[in-house]
Amino acid sequence: MAENQQNLNNEISVSIYKKRWMKFKSMKRGYYSFIIIVSLYLLSFFFPVLINSKAIVVSYNNELYFPAVLDIIPGVSSYYPGERFGQNIPGEADYRKLNKAWQEENSDNWLLMPLYQSDPYEDITSENNKMYESPSANHWLGTDNTGRDVFARLCYAFNISISFALLLTVINYIIGISIGGAMGYFGGKFDLILQRIIEVWANLPMLFVIIILSSILRPSFTLLVAIYTLINWIFLTYYMRAEFYREKAKDYVAASISMGQSNRTIIFRHILPNSLVPVITYFPFSIVAGIAALVSLDFLGFGLPPPTPSWGQMLEIGLQDINKWWMVFSPITAQFMTLLLIVFVGEAIREAFDPKVYSRLR
Amino acid sequence: MATYFLRRLLLIIPTFLGSTILVFTILQLAPGGPLERTIQQLQSGGMGEMAVEGGGGSGSITGGSILPESAMKELKRFYGFDKPIWQRYLAWLGVWPRGIKHRDFSFDSEEYQIEKRVGKRSGQIWRVDIHRDGEDFTVYEKDGTISEVWEAKLEEKNEDGSIDGVIFQTEFSGVLTGNLGKSYTFAKPVTEIMKPRFRISLFFGLIGYFLTYAICIPLGIRKALNHGSPFDFISSVIIFIAYSIPGWALGGVFLVLLGGGSFWDIFPLGGFHAPTEIWEQMTLWEKIVNQAHHAVLPIISWFITSFATLTVLMKNSLLENLSQDYIRTAFAKGIAEKRVVWVHAFRNSIIPIASGIGHIIAIVITGSYLIERVFNIDGFGRMGFQAILDRDYPVTMGFLVIVVLIRLLGNIISDFALATVDPRIRFK
Repeated sequence: MAENQQNLNNEISVSIYKKRWMKFKSMKRGYYSFIIIVSLYLLSFFFPVLINSKAIVVSYNNELYFPAVLDIIPGVSSYYPGERFGQNIPGEADYRKLNKAWQEENSDNWLLMPLYQSDPYEDITSENNKMYESPSANHWLGTDNTGRDVFARLCYAFNISISFALLLTVINYIIGISIGGAMGYFGGKFDLILQRIIEVWANLPMLFVIIILSSILRPSFTLLVAIYTLINWIFLTYYMRAEFYREKAKDYVAASISMGQSNRTIIFRHILPNSLVPVITYFPFSIVAGIAALVSLDFLGFGLPPPTPSWGQMLEIGLQDINKWWMVFSPITAQFMTLLLIVFVGEAIREAFDPKVYSRLR
Repeated sequence: MATYFLRRLLLIIPTFLGSTILVFTILQLAPGGPLERTIQQLQSGGMGEMAVEGGGGSGSITGGSILPESAMKELKRFYGFDKPIWQRYLAWLGVWPRGIKHRDFSFDSEEYQIEKRVGKRSGQIWRVDIHRDGEDFTVYEKDGTISEVWEAKLEEKNEDGSIDGVIFQTEFSGVLTGNLGKSYTFAKPVTEIMKPRFRISLFFGLIGYFLTYAICIPLGIRKALNHGSPFDFISSVIIFIAYSIPGWALGGVFLVLLGGGSFWDIFPLGGFHAPTEIWEQMTLWEKIVNQAHHAVLPIISWFITSFATLTVLMKNSLLENLSQDYIRTAFAKGIAEKRVVWVHAFRNSIIPIASGIGHIIAIVITGSYLIERVFNIDGFGRMGFQAILDRDYPVTMGFLVIVVLIRLLGNIISDFALATVDPRIRFK
């Protein structure tokens, strides 16, 4: 206890955010969840070299090719026809066959395959894939209704889900903070009118509206983010409006107004940093909501356009035939683990930001 | 306070109008609406017939549309697309006259009076006279008086000087008069379609609602009183799991595990109860058992998320109150722990729970498409969803009306509950 007190005294000059970060770090469950989820997400950008049917490196006639590496960079084609490597097949090179053939021939050419040699788009049209294979060494989690590898799709969907939720949350935050902040800061008629509009929005059944919009417009990734943003920015305005309303009455704001600072400076430089607490604590839960929403929409068939790998779409196929249990359990487990990790992080952040210490007398 | 709630009730009106205008406009402006859909169906049907006839090429395809003009007009009128959108909305609301029983007529260029059969009245054929004055029409009954129910208006002037018109009755009939229109797909009044489905959703909703509160409040209290104990830890794990898995996805897990797939066969695969033929031959007791058997999994899935949030809320709320100074004082005064917890702390910590009452009522109805779909239950949410897919606008709007009203009322109920349990709150 005395030592604790000592520590606190030493930290008195440490900024509040640093203190909160220390407290967050001291909460093992949340902190490790944070490390795991962040590293998994970063790793997921390199899935093309880990989980792919293309080779990482091909050395053919003393020239090097990197088909799988090119997959990492969006918008770059990694297409090499089979003929390029002396393979007598139409269309794209089949690296697995190539590997086998070269090894048998003991040829000077070589290639390096990824750890897991399936990609999420390879369906029954490629020779060795069958529909609804149960889990095996080749396909760790089996294959789906068109013979695509479930494990590969699962992993790629992880990246897409988190990216979707992150993008969504960031855009929502920018809009929600600006509008909510402006409402609280300017008040008056502006506030009143926007409040009415927000009430109308907030009382609409959101999933229903999203489905209406997505059934009219065929959604792409960007459009889906846009539709969702249109609806979700509202929830943040409540917090921000209340925070700005409260902060505006404080002396430091009066001081900066009397110094003649612009509204923008006051809003973004002075008030915003003081009213970020609810926003930060809400962030992980907003991501949870984003992921869950994407899965629901994909499940209903109003989400990302096929053949984008997605948990919801896998679940939809799985639930059509409950004997194909791997098609149901894989996406649900993946989703569940992801959400659980984020919820853990969220709980820890919330606690780190909470100055109250629960102590019971008896 | 009564004035406050009266004002809140009145504020429902603008919000309700705003919500319905918004969705109505989106639906009406959307491409691929019911009109286009029907035209497409009729056209493809027509094409098929012609192929059977051996492609007897009549010239009617040349215009791109094989639907005759009059049929187009009729369709437009049926779906209301012959009027501007604001009139359609007002008619839907019931404050603008809606034209019904349209009948076409036409005047030759030199004709100024015709007789028109307009239907039957008290067993007799009803005829009216239509007089023409330039482009204005007056409808007279046979006894010479101006007709009170029939109106006529100009539809089109033709090149040869003849005039096409339409005679119709008007009525005020819309949401405000309790008429939500007729479903396009079922060809029945929307209210008739909604009623049985609403009952199904309400069944799950109410049972789940009471169960949630009946479980969450005692559980939350127990967790708070035993904060840090193994019981608290284990139940927290369950709550985290419940929070991290959407209810409908959990429903999917249940079905695969317990629905007789590759694992156990304990519960039925879905449906509200056994198929109707079997259901009707059951005794009352069998019916109750069968119904309960079908309801277990959906109800758990339905309420798993609100179960998790409510328990945590109850626990945190009580925990926070227990660490307050007034509790310390109560203990210092020597009041028994039971009394401190139940009388002092509990009453204060139930406040946030009370404010959730109305919101959960809304969840009862609205949070259910996914679960109804997973369990193949023909409920209210699924009806709304299907209506969007079928472009069945009357049902879609009917669904919206009910959901928005329930949500708005739910908010007010929440505030009312809050004011009831917390005497410090004064709404003005």
